[in-house]
Formats: sequence, structure tokens, C-alpha cells
Amino acid sequence: MSHGSYHPILDPTKAPAFPSAVLPVLRNPQLRKNVAHAIDVIQAKRGKLVAEKTDWQELRTAGAAIRAHALENLGFYLEQFEERCTAAGGVVHWAADAAEARQIIVKLLREENASEVIKIKTMTSAEIQLNPFLESAGVRTYETDLAEIILQLGEDEPSHIVVPALHVNRSQVREIFSRTMGLKDLSDDPKELTNAVRTYLRRKFLDIPTAISGANFLVAETGSVVVVESEGNGRMCLTLPRTMITLAGIEKVLPRFQDLEVMLQVLARSATGERMNPYTSVWTGVKPGDGPQKFHVVLLDNGRSSILAKKTERQTLRCIRCAACMNACPVYRQTGGHAYGSVYPGPIGAILTPQLMELHHARSLPYASSLCGACYEVCPVKINIPEVLLELRSRVVNQGRDQAGRLFDPMYLGLRIASLIFSRAWLFHTAQFFGRVGLRFLRRKDGWIHSLPSIGGKWTQTRDLRGLPSQTFHGWWAARKRETK
Amino acid sequence: MNVHVQPRPRSRQMILERVRAATHSVTKGAGELEDAYAALPRGYVRSGGLSGEARIALMIERLREYGAEVIECGPEQVQAAIAAQLASSGKHTFVVPAGLSAAWLTPGFEWKIDRDLIASEIEQAEGVVTAAFCGVADSGTIVLHHSAAEARRVLTLLPDWHLCVLRARQVVETLPEYFARCEQAPGLATYISGPSATADIEMTRIKGVHGPRLLHVVMVRDE
Ligand code: SF4
Repeated sequence: MSHGSYHPILDPTKAPAFPSAVLPVLRNPQLRKNVAHAIDVIQAKRGKLVAEKTDWQELRTAGAAIRAHALENLGFYLEQFEERCTAAGGVVHWAADAAEARQIIVKLLREENASEVIKIKTMTSAEIQLNPFLESAGVRTYETDLAEIILQLGEDEPSHIVVPALHVNRSQVREIFSRTMGLKDLSDDPKELTNAVRTYLRRKFLDIPTAISGANFLVAETGSVVVVESEGNGRMCLTLPRTMITLAGIEKVLPRFQDLEVMLQVLARSATGERMNPYTSVWTGVKPGDGPQKFHVVLLDNGRSSILAKKTERQTLRCIRCAACMNACPVYRQTGGHAYGSVYPGPIGAILTPQLMELHHARSLPYASSLCGACYEVCPVKINIPEVLLELRSRVVNQGRDQAGRLFDPMYLGLRIASLIFSRAWLFHTAQFFGRVGLRFLRRKDGWIHSLPSIGGKWTQTRDLRGLPSQTFHGWWAARKRETK
Repeated sequence: MNVHVQPRPRSRQMILERVRAATHSVTKGAGELEDAYAALPRGYVRSGGLSGEARIALMIERLREYGAEVIECGPEQVQAAIAAQLASSGKHTFVVPAGLSAAWLTPGFEWKIDRDLIASEIEQAEGVVTAAFCGVADSGTIVLHHSAAEARRVLTLLPDWHLCVLRARQVVETLPEYFARCEQAPGLATYISGPSATADIEMTRIKGVHGPRLLHVVMVRDE
């Protein structure tokens, strides 16, 4: 809605490929300005707070190691979490895929006779497309995070995982709120807009007895769930309702409570450029007299266990969803999030989405990167995103190739021959010799080749190739040695 | 607990099997797991190097950066400091957890003591007074473990004004020092670092979205 004519599609099975999905954004200067502004602000704050931390690299090393250890022993830690959470009065459910997770949640809501539910921002719920499903099952969903309200009321989609409405500016927010909340005299002052939401939601928090949340971390040792937030809408949802349902990916487990001393320090600084986010909540099952008296956790696989099985790709699951990689990404800065066709945009989306889709969809995403490595450098859990991107690119190519027909594929043949030649010095020198001789006929007087024959012509259509010099470096070096002797 | 959802043992088993198959080459046996965990690199700063005075000064500075109001008092003046804060708040009705020292309930105000108060009663209170478990100077964080004097979670959430009594002895410098102080992991905990805030509209920071908009801290110099 807030971009005029097009509605972004965040379902990887339906979204157009990245190169065509970016076009509406690249033609929308307002959107690009909104995105660039937001990113500049976060980046500046992050930079300052990371710089003041003398042990930043040690924290990253520890964060990466803790997450890797948890993943390598995930079976143990998941069972431990289940056991401790259950002992504390929680109920743990397991969902193999998105459909099963939706089914479990709807069933729980039916048992509560819930016709309405309040929600804390959770990307996992967007991943399984929970809201449209609940609406069609007759359950009205109320997002309570300010950005999510802007998107829900404006019928828009998230474009960032920490500040999901960063592509919408204040006058667009004013327009959405005044239209949907019936507030004619609303100004575009962010303070006034925020107050409108406080009033709009207060009653909902007090009246709606069922809530759905995501989780930032699950703690195996204690069976606790951790939610990190800024606004207090999370605390409202975690405290006031009778029934709480938490949806979490199986990868969210941390071994011990103490591991939070690392994760919380790196998360807030990376995500919003704060020393600590305003509110962090930890709860364990059910506590009589305090908060929801019924508590369910839905553990979601949905493709994660197959990512876990691959050595290079496994690190993808270390992600703590801080969004630092997208804030640092030169591609994301230009395109914003919608072009990634998934709730997970930016570099992490470029590796996570195709894997969650088992490369049946989102195959263009591993190419939506310049491989500059900025994402790896900022990632608080040291996910080597470029390495995973390359791995996925090769898998995309191999998967797309008809194995029997590959001997007729000029690209395949060319690269096989090149690999043969480059791995043998004598073949390489011979090829160089013939190349020099051959290309000499194509070289013009100015020393450049302006057009190549056959498929090479495609390359020279838009550029020139410098003619090879008459002597190679190796040849020159050998000649020089002979002379100095 | 009364739960009617059918357990789906098949998905549980299937997911765990897939996870185990995916990691069988790297998963540690039960005995080695403990050692592998203990061997994880932890080269980051665990305890800070500030003197007692500087640590408290940093805590106060961070709290003030967040817009919290901080007043200091000696261990003998807690009652008076609370009374002064209450008087200048312009508010009249307060909720308090049942475990709070009765001496802190200054006469002349309306006190609702939390004995299973319902949400709408709590919401009508204008303010809340609580103790705390710990303060983390590095990030200006107030830690509540929701013991009898720290209130149930809802008490520090609905009223718009929160007065928190923090003792200098409870203040640590770094986050790892707080975790070292937890002899046992708390079942419930809330870490508060400044009043609730959002930057969702054009990254402009707005204070007080849903939680208390005003945070006051009485820092008791008991060191
Ligand atoms: S990949 Fe790293 S930088 Fe990107 S969101 Fe995940 S943890 Fe943050």
C-alpha cells in the first residue's frame, strides 16, 4: 500500500526472481530514501557501540562457538529443553513443517475458544504464514509491535527483520493510522503516532486472553524462553493473557542460562546499536500467580534439520536474527527487503531462504550479493555468509544441470577444459602460446580486440578486450634470468 | 494441566532422528559433552576493573542517559528518599508487592498491596515501588527476578511510573558478573534498560510505548 502500485510477495514459492523483483524498488526513489536513511542511523549507532567494546572480537568468537556447539549437539539440547520446560509446567509440541505448526496452533486456539489473539513480533510466524491462516480459520490476529502494526494496518509486508517497517516514512504512517484508526487530526509527529498506538493497544492487551510469541533463545539447561524487545508490547503479551503459545525454530537452543551473558551483549549492539535493549524477558514454564497459566512451545523444523546436515551450510543456523548483515550489505541498501521475496531479506535471507526451500525456490538469491564480505565481518556469530553463498551457487548450478546433457553444455565443457588446463603447467603454457598466436589475428592497430568470433562475440558486444602482450610474464622472467647470468 | 492436544510422537521422533542423523559425525557422547562445553572459548571480559565509586557513578550515568531519574541516599535515608520521590511525582495511588518493607509505605498516599490484585486494579494505580535483584553498570540495566519484594511481572508493567530501590552492593559492572551472581538460574527475570522505547518510525527514538514511561531509581549507598 505504501508503495503505490505494487504489493510485495514474501512467499518464496511465488515470488519473482530477485533481478525482476528489485525493479519496482529501484524505480521508487521515496522507498530507497527511507531505507538508506534508516540504515545510516542504525549503522552509525552500531559502529559507535561496537567500537567502545574492547572485547568485541572475543565476544564474537564465544558467540560463534556457543551456537556451533549447541547445533552440533542439538538432539541432546532439544530433549533437555523439552524435559525441563515440561517439568516447569509448559507443554512442548513438535512441528515437522509449516503446515503442522499452523495446525497445532489453530488446534490450541480452538481449545481456548479464542476468536482473537495478540502477537509479539515473530519472523518465524511470518515464515509459516500464520496470520493469513488464522484469519481464514476465523481467528483475528493483532500484531502489537509498532512496526508490525504499521504493516498490518497498511496491508504491507516486512522489509527488515529488526525494523520491519523501515521502508515507510512518518507521513505514510500518519496516513495509515488516521485511515484505519479513524483519527482525522493525527499529525505526523512520531511521538503522537506512538501514543495513538499505546491507546489503541492498551485495551487489547487487557482484554484478549491468548497470545502468540516467537523466541530469541530457548535455554536447554533451564527450559526457559527468552524474548528481547524494546517497546514493552512483548512484556504485555507475556504477562497479561491466560494462555501463551511460543513458536520457535529448533535451532534457537542455547546450552545454558549463562550463555546469555554473551548473546545478549552482542545481540543488542548488533541489532539496534544499543548497549542493551530496553526489555528482556526470561520465563520458565508456568509460575502460579504470575503470567499465563497455560504455556505451549511449538518447536519448528521446517527444513532446518536438512540445513544442519550440510557441513558448510550448517553455520546458517547459528543466526540470532540481529540484522547486522543486511544493514551492512551494499545490495540490501539499494534494494530494501521486499525484493528478496521472503520474510528473511538481506545476506542471511540470501542463504537461509533457498535452503529452507531446499533450493526448489529462491534460486536467484545466492546471486544477490557482490561477495564483498561485509556481512561476515559484522556477524556477531561469525557466519561466513560469502562461503555459504558460493556453496549454494554451485548447488544451484549442479541442480539445474541435466546430468546426461551436460556434455553438450558449452559452459560446462568450457569450464571442464579450463580446469584441466589450469591444473597442468605444461598445458597452460602451450595454451598460452596458441592463444597469443591465435588472438594476434584479431588484434587491431590500437592494441585492442574489438570483436571476438562465435560465442566470444557476446562478450565483445559491449566491451573491448586488450590484446595479449607478445611476451608472458613467465617468458620475460626466464629471459631476464638468462641475461643476468 | 488440562491439555487436549494429541501428542504427535511421530513428528517428535522424526525431527529428533533427522537432527541426530544430521549431526552424528560431530555430536559428543554424554561424557564428552560437558568437557566440550567447558572448553568453549571465553576470552571476553568477565569482571570489570572499575573501583566501587566509579562503578556506581557509571551505573548512575547510564540510567540518566536513558532518561531515568536517579537520587542517591545513605542506608538510613531510604524511607525519606522514597517519600521525597513520591511527593514530587504528583501521584497518589501506588501498588507495591507484598514483600516490600512496610516502612517504605509513606503515609498520606494510597497503597494497594499486591495480594492477587487483578490487572484492572493494577492498571488504575499511578505508580509502583519495588526492590531489585541487581544492577549492571555497563549497560545501565536493572535486573528483576520477581521475588516477593521485586513484584510480579505485571506490577512493573501497567502503572506509568516505576520507582525502583537499588542498593550499591547489588550493582555489578559487567553482564557476566550478574550471571556469576546467580547461584541458580531464575525462573522469571526481566532486564530493564531504560524506559520502553521504539525507533520504528524513521529511527526516531520515542520513549514510553507500552511499559512505564517514567523510571525513578533510589540508589542506596550501602558500600
Ligand atoms: S547472519 Fe549474522 S549478522 Fe545476519 S542476522 Fe544472522 S546473526 Fe545477524
